[in-house]
Amino acid sequence: MQKLVIILVAFVMSSISAQSNYEKGMQKAFELWGSNDPAEASNMFERIANAEPDNWLPAYYAAQVNIVNSFGLKDEEKLTAQLKKAQDLINDATAISKNNPEILVLQALLYTAWVASDGATYGMTMSPKVEAIYAQAEQIAPENPRVVYCKAEWGIGGAKYFGQDTKPFCKDLERALDLFANFKPESPFHPNWGKERVEMLLESCKE
Amino acid sequence: MSYNLKALLLVSLIISSQIIAQSSIISGKVVDTKGVSVAGANVYLQGTYDGSTTDEIGNFSFKTSETGTQTLLVSYISYETFTMVGDIKFMKDLIVKLREDVNTLDAVVLSAGTFQAGDNSKVNVLKPLDVVTTASALGDFVGALQTLPGTTTVAEDGRLFVRGGEADETQIFIDGIRVFTPYTPTTNNSPTRGRYSPFLFDGITFSTGGYSAEYGQALSSVLLLNTIDEPDQDKTDIGIMSLGATLGNTQRWNNSSLSVNGSYINLAPYNEVFPSRNNWIKPFEVFSGEAVYRKKYDSGLLKLYTAYDNTNFELIQEDINQPEGIRFKLKNNNLYFNGSYQGALNETWNVFGGLSYTLGNNDLKITDMVINDNETGIHAKLKFKKRFSNRFKLNFGTEYLASHFEENFSDTNPNQEIYGYNNNIAAAFVEADIFLSKEIAFKIGLRTDYSELFQSFNVAPRLSLAYKTSKSSQLSLAYGNFFQNPSSDILKFNQDLRAQNTSHYILNYQYNAERKIFRAEAYYKDYKHLVKYDTEYAQFDSNYNSSGYGFAQGIDLFWRDSKSIKNVDYWVSYSLLDTKRDYRNYPLEAQPNFANTHNLSIVGKYWINEWRSQVGFSYAFASGRTYTNPNIEGFLNEKTKAYNSLSVNWAYLISPQKILYASVNNVLGFKNINGYQYANTANPGGIFERRALQPAADQFFFVGFFWTISEDKKSNQLDKL
Repeated sequence: MQKLVIILVAFVMSSISAQSNYEKGMQKAFELWGSNDPAEASNMFERIANAEPDNWLPAYYAAQVNIVNSFGLKDEEKLTAQLKKAQDLINDATAISKNNPEILVLQALLYTAWVASDGATYGMTMSPKVEAIYAQAEQIAPENPRVVYCKAEWGIGGAKYFGQDTKPFCKDLERALDLFANFKPESPFHPNWGKERVEMLLESCKE
Repeated sequence: MSYNLKALLLVSLIISSQIIAQSSIISGKVVDTKGVSVAGANVYLQGTYDGSTTDEIGNFSFKTSETGTQTLLVSYISYETFTMVGDIKFMKDLIVKLREDVNTLDAVVLSAGTFQAGDNSKVNVLKPLDVVTTASALGDFVGALQTLPGTTTVAEDGRLFVRGGEADETQIFIDGIRVFTPYTPTTNNSPTRGRYSPFLFDGITFSTGGYSAEYGQALSSVLLLNTIDEPDQDKTDIGIMSLGATLGNTQRWNNSSLSVNGSYINLAPYNEVFPSRNNWIKPFEVFSGEAVYRKKYDSGLLKLYTAYDNTNFELIQEDINQPEGIRFKLKNNNLYFNGSYQGALNETWNVFGGLSYTLGNNDLKITDMVINDNETGIHAKLKFKKRFSNRFKLNFGTEYLASHFEENFSDTNPNQEIYGYNNNIAAAFVEADIFLSKEIAFKIGLRTDYSELFQSFNVAPRLSLAYKTSKSSQLSLAYGNFFQNPSSDILKFNQDLRAQNTSHYILNYQYNAERKIFRAEAYYKDYKHLVKYDTEYAQFDSNYNSSGYGFAQGIDLFWRDSKSIKNVDYWVSYSLLDTKRDYRNYPLEAQPNFANTHNLSIVGKYWINEWRSQVGFSYAFASGRTYTNPNIEGFLNEKTKAYNSLSVNWAYLISPQKILYASVNNVLGFKNINGYQYANTANPGGIFERRALQPAADQFFFVGFFWTISEDKKSNQLDKL
């Protein structure tokens, strides 16, 4: 009996401490990202990914840090290295969780980053890939607010380019906002970003 | 709570606090191989949460509660990940030296002799789009490559003539597998096109010399085309052109996809509007179809590619010796199949296997001569790749090339002649890629070919090395020995010959920075064992031997800049070629008529955002080509005037899925002359009269409308134009 209790306590303790390690680590990484230290945040997420080989979230965030950070980056060499790294991380996340709409959205954003960096080189080859990924993500998760809004934002970019009306996409953005209101992430660390961006985009719809 | 349980909790608390108390500090400094500190590197214990990032001077320090033997990892972009296994007690004041990852973009590239067109590689001189947005290319990949240095302008032929070599010295491969009949037949005054549409390819490597040991039976050059691995979406493409129509469809399933593409070309309506110099009886007509099937496996990719086309035309060709002209009729059928599998066997071993089958058939009627020829070709290849590390990779493999040729000849004489040959070649190759550092790399290879026809072995060594001279420049050297059996127009009459041979020596300088590329390449080629014969044309009763020889030397320059001027992309190619050979029926060593001394090509593209249009031009200049004037002493003793051509094009995006495209070749209407044909006999005044060999038409107009129907309503065919 006593032995059993010892094992039980030891087990609970270790699981509590592992849980808190993950939580602590993730929280720390988000703090770093929030305090404008993306390099450190990316490293932290990578370390967590390394320690949690069955969890796609840390690799996902490490990739996201690198992608978000690449927009507006002028140094071509640095940009290329960063986006390639992000692709590796997305590949790692995908290996853990297949057909995941959140990872698909991130992959589409990565291609968008290539297009944004050099439209002449990557526009023609990567745009259809982005389209195809959003189509796939929408099929899997039509109610995911990020799928809906990122697809709409991509559509707005294309419509602007061709001098077409961007208003039809405002409906999608409004729908995304409703979906955000009802969206419950699976855990505190599951993706839950984008609402502010939609509100910002909707502002320009009113103009 | 019982006493026992309280005690237990107490004990466990003590234990856990002891663990914390036992935490130790891991510290050190991260530097590169030159001792320069590396900031921002990720340092951590494998499988734990314990780690840190190096500061500005490369220092790191972190606490860990782990004990005993652990694995310390240090990683940073563009360096190899450092691993250290050891007891934590000793992980203090470490000096970690990171080695540069030779796989990174700024590493040296083995590039002598090679031009690449692809997506994410820095050494690309062409983008996939360029094949189809270059004004003079008319959607033909061969046409686009002719704007690169190392090629000569043989306007009436259209094939690739590389560095003083004949067109058949260049071999074309699809997915690593040989294409035996890559060009569609045409009349003798119109350029041919590559048989395969650029629609299905996304990577092109064009090597003008010094290529890998994997490729043989090519004296001058190889052109490697790769089909698209994975199409993006289901779609239907419709094209309506001034010359005909195309229709394509792509379907995607979970792990597989199928693309089919058909086209019909008929020059009859065009010739009605723009009469040509040719006297057509039946204008040029082509039916063609292609299909690619791809299937993805867990660790491999299977591709099946097949193409069929049928070409026919009939006309009366001008001839100075025959006032009524020569009636020429051609029917060509060509079937090509190519299958390949490429996959990983495990982490370090890769396998590639491929097979191609070609069946080509020509029915020719020239006045009252009837010629029917059949050519079959089979190529099988098996290749392995072993990666020992990023710094040492080994490639080896074996291949078998079998070709069979048979020709039937009949004329007014009742006897029919049948002749032909089998030309089978077995080969093996091995090649190693060695990176000594990010600055120095070697490729060393050996190839051996066994020809069944000549019952002989040939051994061909290949070597190239590259040295990075600065952040954005490098120097490369390449040497190679290349063998090729004589072509079918010789072998069909005589098989008692030997393999022709060249040696290439190449020195290359490359500067590459932010969407600007400069390349300069000097080369020397030494030809041996070329075929000679003693009659005007190669025929039955000629005497053949392998004593021909020659050389080619020159300088190729290339400059591309897509950065300096906004929305403008341009490139300039210049080639200087000095070549002479004594082969075929030559009485002495002379500059062959397909070799121009100077070749210049300028291509420019301008993207006008407000008009959603791309306008482009392409200018080609080539100095005169040699011909023999029988009215004066000598052989290949005169040169034509220089060749000039300016082409313009315009692509307009009507809507995301509809494109209007127009182009004009030789917009200024230069009257180019490719050579002269002299009369066989002198006129009463003792002079041999001549006829200028001119293109079928000086100018060429093209208008097309392209419409893509896909679910997303966004993709279009701009990437094909």
